[in-house]
Parts: sequence; C-alpha cells; structure tokens
Amino acid sequence: MNSKHRIVSIMLRGGVLAFAWALSAGSPAAAADAAPPPPAAAVAATQLEAAPAAAAPAGDQAPAEFKTLDQEVQGMKKDVIDLNKDLFVLQEELLFPANTQVAVYVSMDVGAFFALDSVTLKIDNKEVKNYLYTAREAEALLKGGVQELYLGNLKVGKHELVAFFTGKGPVERDYKRGATITFDKGVGAKYLELKITDRVTKHQPEFKIKDWE
Amino acid sequence: MSRIHRVCGFALSALLAGAALSANPTLVGKPAPDFVLKSMDGRNLRLSEFRGQVVLVNFWARWAGDSRQELPALDRINTTYNRAGLVVLGVSVDEDARRAREFADAMKLGFPILFDTMSDIGRDYLIEKMPMTILVDRSGVVRYVNAGFKRGDDRTYLDQIRELLRE
Repeated sequence: MNSKHRIVSIMLRGGVLAFAWALSAGSPAAAADAAPPPPAAAVAATQLEAAPAAAAPAGDQAPAEFKTLDQEVQGMKKDVIDLNKDLFVLQEELLFPANTQVAVYVSMDVGAFFALDSVTLKIDNKEVKNYLYTAREAEALLKGGVQELYLGNLKVGKHELVAFFTGKGPVERDYKRGATITFDKGVGAKYLELKITDRVTKHQPEFKIKDWE
Repeated sequence: MSRIHRVCGFALSALLAGAALSANPTLVGKPAPDFVLKSMDGRNLRLSEFRGQVVLVNFWARWAGDSRQELPALDRINTTYNRAGLVVLGVSVDEDARRAREFADAMKLGFPILFDTMSDIGRDYLIEKMPMTILVDRSGVVRYVNAGFKRGDDRTYLDQIRELLRE
C-alpha cells in the first residue's frame, strides 16, 4: 500500500471513529443523561408504583448497559491507538523515505569495562548527533535494550560514519574511543549498529560498527 | 471620571499586572521541553526522568546579581520539600562552565547544578530575563514561569510548590 492509500485509509478511519463517537454521544443512555430531571414528586410516585415489578430487571439491566458502553469505549481507545500508530509510521515514511533512509542504533553487551556517558555521531565529517546518556538509559542498554540513536536521509553512494564514545573505562578512568565505517548507501534503507562489547582477554571495551545488509 | 471608566481602568491595570507577573505565558500549560545536561557531579540528568515529581527548574547565571540571592533561597526550599517529592534543578547558562562551577561550589548548594554552556535549553525555554524559575507539575507540564527575582519571591514559589505537591 502506497502513502496516498494510507492517508486515505487513515482519513476514512478517523471519519468512522468520529461518527461512532457522535453516535455514542447521541445514544439513549447519553440522551437520558442530558434530559432535564423530572419533578421530584412525579419521580417518587412513579418509583412507588413501579418498584415491586421493575426493581429486579432494572438492577440487572444497568450493569449490562455500562458493560456495553465500557466495551465500546475500550474499542474506540484501541482504534485511536492503532490510528496513532499508523500516523507515526506514515510520518516516518514521508520524512525518511526508504530509498534515502539511514538509521543508526546503539547496543551494549556486558559493560564491565566501560560505563557509557555519551556518543557523538558524524556522517561525512558533519556532526549529526550528540547524545548524553543518563544512568537509567545506560542501564537499559546493559539489560539488552537497543536504542535508535539517529534517523536521517542520505544520498545514494559512499559515505563515512564516525562514532565517538566517551565514558569511564577500566579503573574508572575517563575513556574516549572512536570507530569508523565507510559504507555504500544503495537504493534501500541502511541500518547501522554501534556495538559496545567487552574484550575480556585485554580487559578493555571494544567498539564496532555493524552494517546490517 | 465615570464609574464605567473606573472599572475599565481597574480591569486594564489588573490585566497588565497579570501579564507582567506571568512573564513568558507561551510556555505555561505546555509540556516542558525535555533536556539532558551534565551535572556538576558528572551525572547526566534528563528532565523527563523526573515525571511524577514536581520539578523546579532555575536558570541562573553568575553575572545575574539576583541569582546570588535566589540560589540560597532555593537551597532552603529544596531542603524542606525534597522529601515531599520536589526536585530542584539549577541550570547555569554561563558560557564558561569552569567559572560557573566555582561559583556554585562556593554557594554549597544541595541540589544538582547543570550546565547549559551552549544556551540551547535556555532558547527552548524562551528565557527573557535572568534568573528564571519554572515549575513543572507531576505530569511534565509547565505551570508557572517566574522571571527575575526580588526579595519575597521565594514565598510565591512556596505557594506554587505547595499547590503542585498537593495535586
């Protein structure tokens, strides 16, 4: 499905949602809520007459109505979330079309010899990202999280990516290392991963850039 | 002067006074721009990680005379309300981080001091006057913007903080 179709589909779904919302607002339950209250005496009289016969069925009906309404609301919430997701995907596709897209991810393994503080990313000698990591974010990476550090557009051809990692190395020393990769950007999207691992034999961290073909 | 004129004059002056008090109204009611900055003790702190707590962000500079009065007042507020869920962050907008660090060291402040040497964050917060104190509620929305500082303003901060802590 191309972008135009997506936009039309999203607009249609939005319209259906709005319609459903309007319907639920105009439902008998909502209308009853909006209707002016009857005089207190009349209500009391009606209640007295109807109480013996109607008390039991009304008691059962009300929770059922609430349940249906609740289900409808939950369904609508899910639709809104789906719609939001589609809009996000569409936005990404429009801003970063697949033929020019470059995404750079960061992952960390073990981390006994390196505590990550920041990463600076340069593409073709131009700084595109400088990211400071909080303790929580570094911990999330150590637990196996993968972070999307950069998403941008590049022309087809050869490019150079340089990543500088700063943090605390072995024995709590300030540590700064770089890693470079030259890659060919083809017609499709390009995915690169900055990998921080431990080299146990040398008691040093290791920084690699993996080109996901 | 007729009564209508008087009422109009009063309303206008009240409006103007309100506008002066709530400087930078464009930020109030909007989500606080997120930032991550290096603190004096070397940690990187991100504003959005304090979601769920009331955050007081104070932009200060060595050259702003009022900051010298305001920072100790904020330190006292931090000592009292820290346990109740208040986070105080001091953001120095000095270009010279080393001198700003010396200045903050001398003040012996008990809350984190961050350095925005490039003034990027200051731009996001549309700083017009220094110092500037911003109060962010538990859901990350800017609720109060206080530009400048004069004696007694710390009482206003206390009222604002108490209100946000109660929510």
